[in-house]
Amino acid sequence: MIRHALAEGWLLLRHRGLVSLFLALALAIPIGLAGVTWSIMRWLEPAIGTAQRANVVAVLLHPHMGDDQRVAWLESQRREHPGWQIEVVAPEELAQRLVHWFPYLTDLLARDGGAMLPPLVEITTADPESVAVLERSPAVIAVGPRTPLSSLLGRASRGLGVALAAASFVLAISAVLLAAVWVHLELYRHADEITIMRLVGATESTIRGPFLVATAAPGLVAGALAALGTSAVVDALSRLAVALGLPGLIVSFGLLAAQAGAGVLLPLAAAVVTLMRHAAAEGE
Amino acid sequence: MIRLRSVDKEYDGRKVLRSLDLQVDAGEFLFVTGPSGAGKTTLLRLLYAAEHPTAGEVWVGGERVDNIARARLPGLRRKIGVIFQDFKLLRRKTVLENITFVLRFHGLSQREAHRRAYLVLKRLGLHHRQSALPDALSGGEQQRVAIARALAYQPRLILADEPTGNLDADLAGELLSLLCDINYQGATVILATHDNGLLESIPARTIVLHGGAIHYDGMWPP
Repeated sequence: MIRHALAEGWLLLRHRGLVSLFLALALAIPIGLAGVTWSIMRWLEPAIGTAQRANVVAVLLHPHMGDDQRVAWLESQRREHPGWQIEVVAPEELAQRLVHWFPYLTDLLARDGGAMLPPLVEITTADPESVAVLERSPAVIAVGPRTPLSSLLGRASRGLGVALAAASFVLAISAVLLAAVWVHLELYRHADEITIMRLVGATESTIRGPFLVATAAPGLVAGALAALGTSAVVDALSRLAVALGLPGLIVSFGLLAAQAGAGVLLPLAAAVVTLMRHAAAEGE
Repeated sequence: MIRLRSVDKEYDGRKVLRSLDLQVDAGEFLFVTGPSGAGKTTLLRLLYAAEHPTAGEVWVGGERVDNIARARLPGLRRKIGVIFQDFKLLRRKTVLENITFVLRFHGLSQREAHRRAYLVLKRLGLHHRQSALPDALSGGEQQRVAIARALAYQPRLILADEPTGNLDADLAGELLSLLCDINYQGATVILATHDNGLLESIPARTIVLHGGAIHYDGMWPP
């Protein structure tokens, strides 16, 4: 019956070629948009992390402080400000953070593993403004921003991601509904044939096969288009980011495979549900 | 082979069959006759479970079919060859494909399905039209394709609903002879008709339906 499903599915596709192409595009756009959103969100992760850690204030200590002096200073701050949670950031981690946003520093920082960088501590507090007092301390070079600017950047990044994800979701739902309506209309168009097939002993899988093939095929095209589109858009964005001195965006093979899978599975799920509902209605 | 017990069938409160009791043994040839609206088609539809009775039991080949599960319907219908009054041919498939399509459900290879379909078409004198679409055929030819489809997989039960309605007297006689042959080979045949000429052409058990009830059950001519 696989041969029957393929042959009849091909006939359905041929008779509704333009609709199938439209369905493929309608599916490819949200899946592609979701892929691009995912790549951008991964790229913006550090900024979003900043928003989530809005109460953390970075403090750069004087590089000429000895280890004993630094430990003593940290102890004194912990005693004076019991509400602060003070954590020392390892030089390697600080180097990694810098490299993420300024990739051209990679070679420079790789030479000494970040030993040339001033020691960084992060202070978590319910009142970030209170950390301003450290600006007067001779042990401190600089105190990080306490204004909501960094959190604003993070929130904007997250908001952009949510908006793009929501748009992808709405478009994907529309495409799935379109696939369901297409199957429904084809069932209506072939109602007589389906009745005859049932009367002469065709199983439900024989009846459903061609419709599943005819929806999976545009889905396959949609998945491929979405994956290609995502690669192209992410590549263009990446080149733009690098030109601006920012890190490049990465598109993973797993994401492309997921897009191809979603392209097939979304319309197939719509078709299966529609066919089951149709069979149930016929049974009544 | 077939047993109906106190079967009632209503459509929108109108009784089409009333307390019908009927038993048909394997290998029997049965005519079902009666005026239009007597319930002949409904009786046949109950046998291949296209309808469910309002009350009573319907048994076909040892299986109760009045409340048959949906998943078991294809299995039941593959045991029965139905010749429909309105042919029920697939319009987009050729004559040959209409038959091979059904044979493929029965697990026959494409090659064997083609061979058997060709043989049955030849027997019905339609092999030269095997590549035609149903719409290009006359009513009588379409009827013969429907008959070929029902006979191709050699079912043990054949239900024929007015199978000679679109055939001339010669072809009707040939069809009856074909059904008699098949019956002689052991298949049970139930033929619904209101054609008295057909009823009188061979002596066979006949039930006469009137107003949904059996008015006569015996050999015809009486």
